[in-house]
Amino acid sequence: MNIKIASADSLIIYFSDTISKEVSLKVKSAYKRLKEKNDKGLIEIIPSYTSLFISYDIFKFDFEGIKSFLEDELKNLKPYEENNSTLINIDVYYGKEVGLDLERVASFANISVEEVIQIHSSKIYEVYAIGFLPGFAYLASIDEKIIVPRLESPRKLTPKGSVSIADNQTAIYPQNSPGGWNILGRTTFELFDKKLEELSPVSIDSKIKFNPISKETFLDQGGVI
Amino acid sequence: MSGFEVIKAGVFTLVQDRGRYNYAHLGVTSAGSLDEYAALWAHKLLDNDINDNLLEIAFSNVELKSIGDTTISITGAYCEFFINGVLKPVWQSYNIKAGDTINIGKFTSGTRVYFAVKNGFTIKKEFGSNSTSIKDSLGGLSGNKLVNNDFLPFVDTKAIVKKRVREDLLPKYESELTLRVVLSYQESSFIKEEKEKFFNSSFTVTSDFNRMACKLKGEQIKSSLDGIVSEGISFGVIQIPKDGQPIILLKDRQTIGGYPKIGSVLSIDCFKLAQAKIGTVVRFEELNIEDSQNKIKSFYSNFF
Repeated sequence: MNIKIASADSLIIYFSDTISKEVSLKVKSAYKRLKEKNDKGLIEIIPSYTSLFISYDIFKFDFEGIKSFLEDELKNLKPYEENNSTLINIDVYYGKEVGLDLERVASFANISVEEVIQIHSSKIYEVYAIGFLPGFAYLASIDEKIIVPRLESPRKLTPKGSVSIADNQTAIYPQNSPGGWNILGRTTFELFDKKLEELSPVSIDSKIKFNPISKETFLDQGGVI
Repeated sequence: MSGFEVIKAGVFTLVQDRGRYNYAHLGVTSAGSLDEYAALWAHKLLDNDINDNLLEIAFSNVELKSIGDTTISITGAYCEFFINGVLKPVWQSYNIKAGDTINIGKFTSGTRVYFAVKNGFTIKKEFGSNSTSIKDSLGGLSGNKLVNNDFLPFVDTKAIVKKRVREDLLPKYESELTLRVVLSYQESSFIKEEKEKFFNSSFTVTSDFNRMACKLKGEQIKSSLDGIVSEGISFGVIQIPKDGQPIILLKDRQTIGGYPKIGSVLSIDCFKLAQAKIGTVVRFEELNIEDSQNKIKSFYSNFF
């Protein structure tokens, strides 16, 4: 655990410099511990792959003060209990009208489109980070067979609900946005919903499973092609 | 109901307050007034709460008609400011009567005007804040900038003593700016020569400048890192992408990102940057963490 200055009123805790599930569990465990602490001096806590960013009230803590507070608080971290995480099933229509890169991914991976769908939808993914756009969850890891690089030039518009992959990650675009990921399908699942008290049903505690559905079901759910 | 009728919304007028917190872990940006110095003064002139909302006006041509009696204040960029067609000085408060018309015309210096009303506009907060975040479709009147015919409600108040900001506290928006930086994040990936180049050369503000970030042009600064794992980013952080041109991230920044970062500009200096025009010359000066925190604390103690 390495604590560094991020700005005059924020810091970052690095748990490692490489991404791994073990590191991610440490980050989640530390995040949970500090959230439970509910200290008003901690203003914002942002977990990511290998780090935890914290902005703090400088009227309450100076850098050395918060550093030793955190070192003390996080020294005996209990391992993150994975069985506390909730599994969220997300219906996806993997049709060619919406899966704009399905064929490209299939030919890159040298397998059929059906195999791409089968491989992408058979794994349970973990949330490593949330950012980029509100509710945009970085999910990993996808099966090695369908690892495909980002598009050489990003699309001006990746439609809302696009289920996509890049390198060993997968994600859903919560809104229309420029984007360079390979699009496999589309979902009506809302990742950022102002009607929810917590804004997003997905958190770093969630696990995600994609469930292939037919075009009819997708349209019944309110899907737009 | 009392309030302002928006006759002309201007090009980019937003309702802002001090920002939205506790949602960054979901990718929701803080937003908030880009120039807190001007915004906090606008509230202080009215004895408002520092967390009240106000308008942040970038670009000219705003016209409001008052339906009700209140007191307003106007700070930030120096501009042509009219009440019922009569030119008035800015960085002051004014009592307003029902039927009065307020115009904000050409800016003469600075780029953002702050316009506050006594006790703020009575708009429902969204997730703890009135700050408009267009990207997140949150805050303000409809998660968007003002449009003609919008209505900004307020509760009528009796006329109060007019106030103005003391002459020596008025900001000057100059064509050269020194921003104080606390070294942070991946600073050790910048060798001594690169750091010296960073602190000894000057950069200019490019047109790539909005509420999200300000991109600078100048000497190329190199990090020994090719890229980094995405991590939480602070207000004022200086990212150095592959082209070596610094980008200072501001209130509407992404919550996580992945470029090497040399340090962070003090928040109180970002407030000055918020008023800079394209072409403004920027220099960086290093400040240690203790002094940085003391400067920021003394800034806020003027308003708390």
